[in-house]
Amino acid sequence: MQWRTIYRKEMLEYWRNFSWIWVPIVFIILAIMDPITSYYLPIIIDNVGGLPEGASVEIPEVNPTDALMMSLSEFSMFGVLVIIFITMGLIAGERKSGVAELILVKPVHYATYISSKWAAKLTLVLTSYIIGLFASWYYVNLLFGNIAFSALVQTIGFYGLWFVLVLTITVFFSCLFKSSGVVLGSTIGTLLLMFSIYNIFSHVLTWFPNSLSSHIREMLQTGSVPNALWGTSFITVGSSLILLIVAYVIFQKKEVA
Amino acid sequence: MNVFSLLAPLIILEAVLAIVALIAWFKTDETNGPRWLWLVIILLIQIIGPILFFIFGRRQQ
Repeated sequence: MQWRTIYRKEMLEYWRNFSWIWVPIVFIILAIMDPITSYYLPIIIDNVGGLPEGASVEIPEVNPTDALMMSLSEFSMFGVLVIIFITMGLIAGERKSGVAELILVKPVHYATYISSKWAAKLTLVLTSYIIGLFASWYYVNLLFGNIAFSALVQTIGFYGLWFVLVLTITVFFSCLFKSSGVVLGSTIGTLLLMFSIYNIFSHVLTWFPNSLSSHIREMLQTGSVPNALWGTSFITVGSSLILLIVAYVIFQKKEVA
Repeated sequence: MNVFSLLAPLIILEAVLAIVALIAWFKTDETNGPRWLWLVIILLIQIIGPILFFIFGRRQQ
């Protein structure tokens, strides 16, 4: 009951501050930009010119899998940044402005407060991401070749888990610190640390969350879901849940004290 | 397929983004930093301008 009230209050806020319009648009633009640009690369090079007489540029053939992966790599950079920016104030901002106290003096459980806000933001992010990937799929089919609908659905399902983790990390730090800037810094720091750990130990850490996209590429190329992808998904979902629970415990201790 | 019909959705999305940012700008009384500067950013910088305004431009509460 209370859970749904907070969830709906968040949804209303996303309508009022236009999040439901601009976040999906940003994800669509991110998703379709790279496939379109690489399709027109030969024409762009021709028109811009500046190449010496007789120079020839070999542009490698882009297959549908590569084109779809381009969208994912844009998501993993700018999509993740957008998610962090719109989420960093989720709880930190309300604690700073005092809204959190207003809600929590009522008999609202801390777990209800955190999980409903987390779920609301997740709804916004995942909806935008799914719309974006559908747009990318449309262009990839048009320009580069066929990707099966089932493969798209699998890609959406598995890559979405990465966004779940990123969002949960941001919410975690948002529970810890009052300043949005600190939340931003520690979230990006954590992601960079995970990225470098994965880069160094990628041959051992086949189930590390960062390996999701390379497993997804393998899935798109072979047409079957590799075992490592299930393992990675399990780790990603598991660590998100643990982070959320730890965030709740720390938040409760902080607020009660 | 001709170039225009492929790029039309992109151009429309860009325009919608800018228009929504303008509406949000009109409705916001207090912005972070000078108000007129945000108008310039929204109108002159493609795609990035409106996004920057949505993320940083508006003051919370």
